[in-house]
Amino acid sequence: MKKVTLWLPLVAVLLSVFVLVRPIMPKQTVGAYNLDALGKLPVSAGGRTKPLDSVARNSLMIISDRQTATANNQRISAMRWMADVISQRPETESYEVFRIDHPDVRSLLGEVPDKQKRFSFNQLLMHSQAINEQLALVRGIDPKDFTIYQKHLMELADHVQMFQDIRHRLTPYMLPPLSPGENWRPLAPEMVVVEGHPDPSVAAQYWKKILDAYQQQNPQEFNQQVAEYTTLLNSDMPAVMRKAKFEVFFNNLQPFYQGTVLYVLAFLLGAIALLASNIKNGTLAIALRRAMVSVIVVTFIIHTFGLAARVYMQGYAPVTNLYSSAVFIGWFCVAMGLFMEWLFKNGLGSCLSAVIGFVTLIIAHNLADGDTMQMMQAVLDSNFWLTTHVIAVTIGYSAMFMAGVISIVFVALAVHGQCVSEYRGRVLATLVGASLFTLVAIALAIVLTLFAIPQFAIRSVLLLTGYTSLFYVIFVGAVYLLSLLPWRPDTSEVQKILGKMIYGTIAFALLFSFVGTVLGGIWADQSWGRFWGWDPKENGAVLIVLMNALILHARWGGMIRMRGVAVLAVFGNIVTAWSWFGTNMLGVGLHSYGFMDKAVIWMLIFVGSQLAIMTAGMLPIDKWKSHPTQKRRQKAAAEAPQTT
Amino acid sequence: MNKSIKKALAPIASLKLTVLLFVLAMILIFVGTIAQKEIGNWQVVNTYFRSLWLMMPIGIAGIKVPFVGGYTIGGLMVINLIAAHIVRFKLDEKRIGIILTHAGLIMLIVGEVLTGLFAVEWQMRIEEGQTVNYAVDIRSVELAIVDPSPEDHDDVVVIPESILERHNNGLTIHDDRLPFDVQVLTWMSNSSVLAPRFAPPDGRTNPARSGLGRTIQVIPAPPVSGVNMNGLDAPSAYIRLSKKGQDLGTYLVSLNFEFIADETRQAVTVDDKTYLIELRYVRDYKPYSITLIDFKHDKFIGTQIPKNFSSEVRLVDPTTGEDRPALIYMNHPLRYRPLNSRGETMYQSSYIGDTTTVLQIVRNPSWIVPYVACAIVSIGLATHFGLMLIKFVGRARR
Repeated sequence: MKKVTLWLPLVAVLLSVFVLVRPIMPKQTVGAYNLDALGKLPVSAGGRTKPLDSVARNSLMIISDRQTATANNQRISAMRWMADVISQRPETESYEVFRIDHPDVRSLLGEVPDKQKRFSFNQLLMHSQAINEQLALVRGIDPKDFTIYQKHLMELADHVQMFQDIRHRLTPYMLPPLSPGENWRPLAPEMVVVEGHPDPSVAAQYWKKILDAYQQQNPQEFNQQVAEYTTLLNSDMPAVMRKAKFEVFFNNLQPFYQGTVLYVLAFLLGAIALLASNIKNGTLAIALRRAMVSVIVVTFIIHTFGLAARVYMQGYAPVTNLYSSAVFIGWFCVAMGLFMEWLFKNGLGSCLSAVIGFVTLIIAHNLADGDTMQMMQAVLDSNFWLTTHVIAVTIGYSAMFMAGVISIVFVALAVHGQCVSEYRGRVLATLVGASLFTLVAIALAIVLTLFAIPQFAIRSVLLLTGYTSLFYVIFVGAVYLLSLLPWRPDTSEVQKILGKMIYGTIAFALLFSFVGTVLGGIWADQSWGRFWGWDPKENGAVLIVLMNALILHARWGGMIRMRGVAVLAVFGNIVTAWSWFGTNMLGVGLHSYGFMDKAVIWMLIFVGSQLAIMTAGMLPIDKWKSHPTQKRRQKAAAEAPQTT
Repeated sequence: MNKSIKKALAPIASLKLTVLLFVLAMILIFVGTIAQKEIGNWQVVNTYFRSLWLMMPIGIAGIKVPFVGGYTIGGLMVINLIAAHIVRFKLDEKRIGIILTHAGLIMLIVGEVLTGLFAVEWQMRIEEGQTVNYAVDIRSVELAIVDPSPEDHDDVVVIPESILERHNNGLTIHDDRLPFDVQVLTWMSNSSVLAPRFAPPDGRTNPARSGLGRTIQVIPAPPVSGVNMNGLDAPSAYIRLSKKGQDLGTYLVSLNFEFIADETRQAVTVDDKTYLIELRYVRDYKPYSITLIDFKHDKFIGTQIPKNFSSEVRLVDPTTGEDRPALIYMNHPLRYRPLNSRGETMYQSSYIGDTTTVLQIVRNPSWIVPYVACAIVSIGLATHFGLMLIKFVGRARR
């Protein structure tokens, strides 16, 4: 019977390894063309040398919002699309790849089915007059003042431009620097020159042969030319080729996507373990918990590999933009969770790892727009400071989020405790109240829209309170439903451990956010002689330091206790999100009425959800008039002799 | 320590005050960040962070409420901290980290105040081959009236921005040092050039009758916000010059000329003597001069992303006899400290076109303070929380 604690984790590990290995297992080549080999050829785009495969995937991500294309109702791979486009096959014009989300932009294409989101170049061409008329109206407007329609219209124009540039071989730069003094350059000019030019570059000749063979549907010739060109590059630029090959491997592996899947698997195991812990003997629960921890360790390894691979491919420190900061925050939180697991061995740390790992990778996925490994602006190009300052600050963010997430669990347990106690009816009453308030907020929002009241402040306050009450209903409602289950563990011990975790994590967050902020100051002083400039990003960082200091001092001064720390740590989530994202939103047209950037909406939703949890954490149930102690006090007051 | 003193200090030393100050600081910093959407960063710094109090907008219908400024909060924090350590002073292993942290924090706050009071920043714009012996303060302008007649130098009289601003809407500046009276018809703290074919928005006629203003018109513009890190205000003014009632013409003076006109100075002739007038950044003449030998900047292949930029310069200081070449580039400033009392550091800040470099010149006597302070705080925090962690892990593992 005890053996289950051994083989269950083993099965889980094997399963996760299978999930990881599946995408990189050799596939049968679809069709006769060796597109894999074509994908490994290096090109230069956005200032970085990368395999054509990456350009294909990134371009499709931008144009189509996914890594495949649709040709004649058939899904084709990014490389197939790329090969078709650069060899200028005419059928690419009917591939449905241009994603249009805005209904008004879509309506420029005449009557189209509501479901259709992606359109072909031909479809756009047919309505080019209407589109160009609209574009002419937008040109000259400051992008900051774009309405949402104008923004989407310009995006479409950019995507078409991008498609055209690829088709005309202007981008990516496909000709490598094979002789000294040369640089990467586009294929187009030399491609024309090849015919009749006495001295076209070797690379241009190869590319011409490769593309001609593809166009004339001669797979044998195509494969041979690609192989010869590869051999040439292998001997001329071995380092570049190695990196390109590795990047294709990385693209196929998709470590962060696989990581997302595995974190979910781990969380499910954890949830079952939690339920199983209530059933009879604990062996199954232990086995499940171990299985969860093993899956997380495997996932953490792949997560780490992904980060390290990016450092190798890019040559920069792991955090260079919002995307990579999300990946790094997730990675560090998982590490912290595993550390807590090692400390307490109760499954809590791993559960947190799984949840945060999953959420941050999802956030990262949504932040990715094209190549996530851009080159760094000259001012930021200093590996030493990037490494120390950015990593320290990001660790600070991670710890702050970790404390916040643990606090959410803490609050949930506290509310659960109330739900299974005599206060259950009152919790239910707050739920009803919040539901009603949500309805009122929705009604008010409709009124505002009907009367076209554009006040940004009023609208955001309304949205915020609306989201808060909505999330209150969701959060407390979920806990309430859970409390209906026969599963009624005594959580006071767990709450104590959670309290310690929160406190320790906040102390850790204070240390790293302070050190990180300071290192940023030193970097700034080295770069432009101003240690502290009070600019938005710096202010965001110092807010986190202050928030941590506030929580700790309030705790030391006895102003708050465990619950107070938890509630404030949830507020810390808002502060961190502001510092991480909010300061980047300042440049966006917050003040242009009728237009709110998607990110701002998400920010409001997030703030609302955190405020809701804070409210739930502050439920002052024993202060209510109907509370027994209050009733007793009232009674005593009524019975006491009147003194005037 | 005397018990009654401790008792008296207790309320000042209270942790409740500490927490209150944290809350106030967070509000101040948050609103001070939002404010940078509308107004410039240094303006925010001066009103919010380097001030005793301010009128803070609350974001609804332009209502403002009084609020404590950065100096007040920082000052109270220092007092609160010192009082707390007097009242609760105890030197043991547990408190050593806290004492270090707090000592460093006091230094940090004091350092920021010193920087606010004594640090100066200028810019130096040099074209390749040019030698420049002054730096400009890009945050304030002056109207310079130059008499180029002396053989070996120019005689210059300047009217500071504050005086120009105060005489806005038609007041006249009269001073014996000026060769003529200056009437400020319109003062614009930021302005943009009107494209030639566009008519002025309100259908008014061009006020300028002489000089560059006849062909170039400007209109007022909102201030450049702090969020827009690279933007700079370009002030302009329409001025009417006169001498003893005799009209010398109405001119436009503008910082915008820097970008669109070849010659930014305009000639004014009075009593057969020619003066040159120019609205320019306030200048600070240096004992040294800098010659730009070569400016280089690369972009990443096929992009507009700057990869690096560097200025090869020659620094000549007759007062110390120094004459040496230097290379200034990102994160590698030229620290010029001929005397301990007067150090200036030159940073590669930006560039205009392909051949003009923009150097940032900084004099900050207290630059070392934050370095030391931060080291102390970091050590303090690491000690305190490190001890805490060791103890905690020890207990949890048992």
